[in-house]
Amino acid sequence: MQLQEKLTAREFVILAEMEPPKGTDTVAMIANAWAVKGKVDAYVIPEMSNAVMKMSSLGGALLLQSRGLETVLQVCCRDRNRLAIQGDLLAAQALGVPNVMAVAGEEITHGDHHKARPVNDLELLELLGAIQTLQGGRDMAGVDLQGAPSFFVGSTLKVTPRGELWDQELAAMDEKIAGGASFFVTQPIFDPGALAKLQESLNERQAAVIPTVLLLKSVGMAKYINRFMEMKIPEDYVNRIQKAPDRVRECVQIAGELVSALKAQGCPGVNISTIGWEDKLPAILAAAGV
Amino acid sequence: MIKAIPKPMEEIIDNVKDFNKLLIAGCDGCVTVCEAGGLKEAKVLASALRLYFTQGGRQAQVDETSLTRQCEKEYLAQLSDRIDQYDAVVSLACGCGIQYLAEMYDKKIVFPGVDTCFLGVNEERGLYSERCQACGRCILAETGGICPIARCSKRMLNGPCGGSEGGKCEVSKETPCGWELIYERLKTLGQLHRFETPTVPKDWTTSRDGGPRKIVREDLRI
Repeated sequence: MQLQEKLTAREFVILAEMEPPKGTDTVAMIANAWAVKGKVDAYVIPEMSNAVMKMSSLGGALLLQSRGLETVLQVCCRDRNRLAIQGDLLAAQALGVPNVMAVAGEEITHGDHHKARPVNDLELLELLGAIQTLQGGRDMAGVDLQGAPSFFVGSTLKVTPRGELWDQELAAMDEKIAGGASFFVTQPIFDPGALAKLQESLNERQAAVIPTVLLLKSVGMAKYINRFMEMKIPEDYVNRIQKAPDRVRECVQIAGELVSALKAQGCPGVNISTIGWEDKLPAILAAAGV
Repeated sequence: MIKAIPKPMEEIIDNVKDFNKLLIAGCDGCVTVCEAGGLKEAKVLASALRLYFTQGGRQAQVDETSLTRQCEKEYLAQLSDRIDQYDAVVSLACGCGIQYLAEMYDKKIVFPGVDTCFLGVNEERGLYSERCQACGRCILAETGGICPIARCSKRMLNGPCGGSEGGKCEVSKETPCGWELIYERLKTLGQLHRFETPTVPKDWTTSRDGGPRKIVREDLRI
């Protein structure tokens, strides 16, 4: 419950994405999470991000939640129909998961199981609606539940590289807020200054917008992102990594600086995404001074 | 062929009630065969709409026509000299024809007059049933000419689910079990060995699951 309480009290929160393993060996996942216990407010458990098959987010969340580590369970529309989604939400709450984050899910063609059939029985707003329906004590068929869940609900928000919001995204955000979303996690942000302008307009809305800080892993990754994705990594960062004697350490330093800068400008929190380099989380937090 | 059914009159009226000049455009292709959207149905709908407007004290113009196929530009072009005189068009073609008409006349409001249902056969007049889901990779050679994707309620690819009874599907007693049909046909043909070969999980990218599809036949393109 720490996440909700701290966001409500307008205290800075730190989320850390914790990818479940592609396999049954959970030692590294648990150890990486444990290494930042007390420094991270909640662990976001992605639901097969980029459509790459992994342990389910529900399984990953339970592994941490059962050890007293607060989790944010990602629930995505891509892989399950409305029965399965509702059933998993009930299971998650019954087993202690207090937060859920509704996401659409990357296209299956972007992942490693290209031949699979996507489900998308519910779309994002309908998924949020389904969560509200369950919290109201009924399922989507209108049947009474034996015990209703009560989640702290979030979703995603797409911000332009310049820290702007498209009109459509803003309208979608308002719909999501009306649908029960209390916090939003953005895609990776590399220009905290640009986000500051956005923060003012977002403050009018009753929802916390939490930017993602992505740990760059190499110059190649930064260049790839600049070339193919709707994100903009400043040249300064690319040059710094390129010239650094210890490039990994420089990447960690940059991520730490971004966390620190976003905190300084009044963001409600950050979501740190290390996509496979979760063991770098202690160093990032140390670099950020949080 | 594509099978469709006429939309409920109330739904069509709800869409067109605020317009004064309407064209009802039938299609002489598939929807004529299943008697949902040919010239005959266009005339019936136009008459019904004229009656609706007259009873409401409205002077509305409702004309009807039918094109050879609404899924081809050459036939859609036949409307080019007259479509501007109408406020809106109700197309009785299948979903393909409705969209292609709207695409070709992109400033014209186009409403659907039918619900497009499936790719199927005419069992009898007024009785049509599904046979193909256009998955893009035909497996009828392995299944005795009967498609489990279209004929099995669960789209099972490796034999029956075990829920059928007396040759009928557990989802609906009106539906024959697709896999019983396949098994019996393979037995008749002496091809039961095909039934014993397991299939691997299907590649659905050729179906709608890989996104909107397109066929490019370089051998046919000029």
